[in-house]
This record gives sequence, C-alpha cells and structure tokens, in this order.
Amino acid sequence: MKTIFTLVVFSILFVLTGCVQETKNIDMTNDNAKAVLALDYRDFDQAATEMVQSLLSSGKLAKPEGGQYVLTTGVITNDTMQRIDTDLLTAKIEEDITNSGQVIMTSAIGGKDSNRDSMVNDLRDVRDSAKGEEFQQDTLPNKGTLIAPDLSLSGKIYQRNLSYDKKTQQVEYYFQLKITDLKSGLRFWQKEVLIGKRGSNKAVAW
Amino acid sequence: MKMLLLVACMLATVVLTGCNEESCDGRVQVQDKVKSDNLGGNIITRPFVAAGSGMLGHGIEITDVKQTRNEAGLLEVSVIGFNKAYNPNRFEYYTEWLDESGAVIESATDNWMPFSVNARSNFSFKVVSKSPNAVDFRINTRKNRKVK
Repeated sequence: MKTIFTLVVFSILFVLTGCVQETKNIDMTNDNAKAVLALDYRDFDQAATEMVQSLLSSGKLAKPEGGQYVLTTGVITNDTMQRIDTDLLTAKIEEDITNSGQVIMTSAIGGKDSNRDSMVNDLRDVRDSAKGEEFQQDTLPNKGTLIAPDLSLSGKIYQRNLSYDKKTQQVEYYFQLKITDLKSGLRFWQKEVLIGKRGSNKAVAW
Repeated sequence: MKMLLLVACMLATVVLTGCNEESCDGRVQVQDKVKSDNLGGNIITRPFVAAGSGMLGHGIEITDVKQTRNEAGLLEVSVIGFNKAYNPNRFEYYTEWLDESGAVIESATDNWMPFSVNARSNFSFKVVSKSPNAVDFRINTRKNRKVK
C-alpha cells in the first residue's frame, strides 16, 4: 500500500514538473511572436530604425563646411505608464549615427548619468587636487581641452490609453525626438513615430 | 433561366462601367468604393473576386529599384512596386548593407520593418545605409503576423 502511495506521489510530481513552460531564447532576428500591449524590444527597434532613417536621409547632419558635429543626448522624458530606460531608444540611434561618420557623441555632458562619463570630470578634479601631483603632469588633461557639443538630441515617449469598445482598449505610443543647435537654439530636425496597439481590457499596458 | 440572364446582365454592366474608370495618370490611385464599381469593387462580386485573388496567390510585385548616393555619401535605395491582391498586404522588410568586399555591414537598427499596402495599389519605400562604406544591398521580405 505504501509503495503504491509513493508511486502515485512520484507520478503526480513527474506530471506537474512536466507541465512547466519550457524556457527558450528568443530568435531576435526572426521573432514572429504575437504583439504585446506594453512596449517590447521590437517596438523600440522599429522606432529607433525609423528615427535613424529619417535623420540620415534628411541630410541635416552633414556639416556644410565639412567635418563632424558634436552631439550630446539631452533629456528624453518617459511620459508612459511603464518603467522605461530611454536609453533603449537612444543607444541604437547614437550608435548608428556615429557609425555613419556624420557626428561624434560627447560623454562630457549629457541629460542623464548614462550619457555622461563621470571620469571626464573626476580626472579634472584629481588634476586640481593634491592627488594630481602623483600623476605625470603631461598625462593629465589641460584646461580648456573639452569640446562643447554643437547639437542636442532630446524628446519624449508618450502613452495614451483609450477605450475602443467594451472588451478592447487602444494604446498609442508616441516617440518624439528632436535635434537642436545649441548655439542658435534652432531646431535642426524632428520626427514622431507612432505605434498603436489594441488588446483586451484585461491586459495591462504597464 | 430568367434569373441567370438577369445576373449575367448585371455582371456585364458592372464590368463594362468599371473598365472606363482607370485613372488618367498612374500616379493618382483611386481605390475601390471611391471609383465607380467594377468586379473588384462591387459589393456583390467583391468577396468572390477577393477570394479568387487569394486562391491565385496574388501578392506584391516589385516594378523598379532606384539607387542613389546622398550628399552625406550614404547609399539610398527606393523600392517601387504594386500590390496585385484585392486585399491589403501587410509585410515586413529587412535590409542588409554590403561593403566593397561583399561583407555585411552590421548596425544597431538591423531589424524587420513593417509596411502596409492597400489593395491593387502602388507603393514605394526608401531605405538609407547607415555607413558610407555601403556599396550594395539585399532586401528580404516576410508576412507581417503582428498586425491585423
């Protein structure tokens, strides 16, 4: 009787563990999975690609007198109900426009910590402190060597929730970016990418 | 017999009137339900035509590909085509840029981009390389299953 009971328990445990959904890696280049109501990596990829295509085809980054613009990433506001690191959008854009050879990004100044390299200022603090004497002086940066950015990339991601019908909700995501000339304050370029989704009212978009 | 004759007359009228409503300029597209009825746009015959188009497997046709280099030295490619189907066609395209040696130039925004074309309509989309080293390209397409 005891043996049968043990067998039954083992069988149940075996069946239950067998029911657990298997974890799989996503094929990021051929992901045909269903859409989700919240923003996923495919939405960021799509928005970033449309932004880069618009920016590069606009020709606004080509400096008339030759050379390259210095660009910094300013503030990108997350005005959605989701906890989003806006670098998910901007990192791809920064990478592609840098590789296009038209701009150089600066880490000396930026809208948030991840856009800045704190070592740029830390090294200067060291230079100006007593510790600076411990370094070979010609390896320390001189004053007036940092290059100020010409342009700034800023914008926001905005979410709008609407009731579509009794069972369905509509969620609209607006990705808005602009590039401003920091000397004149004039806006060089701007682009909005809209991604809309409809799904069950039971699904949560945050 | 009388009924069959009536249906045949109706169809003939629809076909004959529909044939005269082509736009005089191919750049201006007039969709079904905007232009006069034809077989593909008539409320009675449209489901049959759409089903037939589906059975025949009508899809998009690429009619022209234009390649230029912009002021910044980046390769720009315009793809022009026509959707032969009687239903909207939603697809995605993926662009690969190749350098002089034929190697793929990788970028952070290499991904499938969604595109939608109306039934029986012209379409065009443009892609820009992200590196001045791009000299050639490859574009692949697939059905977009995320959009309804």
